[in-house]
Amino acid sequence: MTIDAFIAERRGRWAALESAIKTAKRGRLRNQSASDIEHFGLLLRQTSSDLAIARRDHPDAPITEYLNALCARAHPLLYRGRPWRVGAIGPFFATALPRSFRAAWPYMVASLGLMVIGFIAGWVAVDLRPDLRASLVPSSLFDEMARGQIGTGVQDAPFAAAFIIQNNIRVALISFAGGMLLGIPTALVLLSNGWMLGTVAAAVHLGGYDYQFWSLIVPHGVLELSVIVVSGGTGLMLGDAILRPGDLRRTEALARVAVRAVLLVLGAASLLVIAGTLEAFVSPSSLPDGAKLAVGATVGLLLYSWLLLAGRTRRRRPSFRFDRPAETPA
Amino acid sequence: MDSGQLDTISVKTSDNVTLGYSVAGLGSRLVAQILDNLLAIPITLIAVLLYGALANVFVTSSEGAGFADAGAGFFAGFVYFGYFFVAEAVTGGKTPGKSAMGLRVIRVDGSAADFGALAVRNVIRVVDFGVVLIGIVIMFFQPQTRRLGDLGAGTIVVRDRAMVTLAAAVSPPPIILRTPDAGPHIDGLDRIGSFEHDALRVFLSRPGLSQKLRADLAADIARRLLDRLGLPPGAPERLWPPELFIERVYLQLDQRHP
Repeated sequence: MTIDAFIAERRGRWAALESAIKTAKRGRLRNQSASDIEHFGLLLRQTSSDLAIARRDHPDAPITEYLNALCARAHPLLYRGRPWRVGAIGPFFATALPRSFRAAWPYMVASLGLMVIGFIAGWVAVDLRPDLRASLVPSSLFDEMARGQIGTGVQDAPFAAAFIIQNNIRVALISFAGGMLLGIPTALVLLSNGWMLGTVAAAVHLGGYDYQFWSLIVPHGVLELSVIVVSGGTGLMLGDAILRPGDLRRTEALARVAVRAVLLVLGAASLLVIAGTLEAFVSPSSLPDGAKLAVGATVGLLLYSWLLLAGRTRRRRPSFRFDRPAETPA
Repeated sequence: MDSGQLDTISVKTSDNVTLGYSVAGLGSRLVAQILDNLLAIPITLIAVLLYGALANVFVTSSEGAGFADAGAGFFAGFVYFGYFFVAEAVTGGKTPGKSAMGLRVIRVDGSAADFGALAVRNVIRVVDFGVVLIGIVIMFFQPQTRRLGDLGAGTIVVRDRAMVTLAAAVSPPPIILRTPDAGPHIDGLDRIGSFEHDALRVFLSRPGLSQKLRADLAADIARRLLDRLGLPPGAPERLWPPELFIERVYLQLDQRHP
């Protein structure tokens, strides 16, 4: 077939595909009817087979270039992942998020470990050098605790809550994104959070205000520190995918992990709204210390029963796993 | 043929056809980024001003003002980075800046970038542009001009514009000047195929070449054709003028492939 006959015979469907691409809005075919989309699929398959013929018979002709560009523009309209819908949020929180949390347990343990190491280091540092207490912990905290003023409440608590929520979400996202730099920033975030808590806790312990202090930390801290551990864990996942990609290319290993990890970190970060509200309204409130600790214990119980139990099936079916390749034996 | 000089990635579709996507260069990526900033920065400023107005109304204490001030900084960051995420998610991978430059985010397998992939590349944008513009350095050295966020998300920014229109892609018709018909049968035509056919067509569709150039080209092409056809030394075709010979070969090939 000559190139002219080839073009004359088939240009009608190319023009049809071209105009179908133009009707797509926002890179989607959502506004079109089912039969239109079916027809679009037919046009795309026909045009890609035309492209294959043109490649073979007329590799240098402009028409080959044209057909390639046409198919390249049409292809992503038809081939795409499952669309994001508002209705998917429920099942995501009910099953997918707890499952991906459990599937990533080694990273969560490592993340928790880094934070605990920071905590212990901070505690030991204050124990060894109590004279550094003043530079590590603001002395106003002790004054307030001594005067029993710690429960007088934060003024403008809504702004405090907004500030706390945003700050913690920022820390969570940076812990995740830090995974791209081999997880080093992630590890630093985890160690420094542990260190800060450890130094303050040790200093407070020296002053003998343990009970007041922990009643100030626990109501929001259970949730907040858990989210930091989870987001740190996702950052470590990225770093690990880069460092040990297994049989895959590094970019491939990274992309497989990252898309699932980001959903985990975004889901976890949304819990920070609850944590920040507790931190601004409950932790500094005039509630009795015992009640505050009870709030913390309840939140912790709910959080971990959800993360550890939700979405389990009777058969142990690995339905939502991080498909990292099996480790090659050393 | 323009895109032949640009970097391309090949994607094999489920129909087993290879599609070539031309990868957006660093320059157009940066221009798109600047255009997006022309939108993102005013949006961020307006959002922060609204936040400030809200804070002025509701803040009652100096402690609250401190929280509001510090919160405004974070808020600005969320709005600024949120612009890129929302713009990409709503438009299917084309922020206004990318759209103006004819660029689009897709996944490396050629499918559309989904919610998760766009979330990854936009969260990691903080590292790309927050850590000494490391993203630009990596795009410069990365063969497909991908930044860290693209590597993490498995996405790539490609040119989305049609480079060639159908009208321009249709080759002009050949112009036959020297012969009224296909002439006597030429032996050995089964030794050549559509490649030679296309080449002759390109030559014949350009009658506007200067006389000397056209004659030289015709002589060169005719010599190669005679070799390839394997005609004996005494064949009458060898005596035909080159342009006449080419036209006859072309017309006879045309008859062979109706």
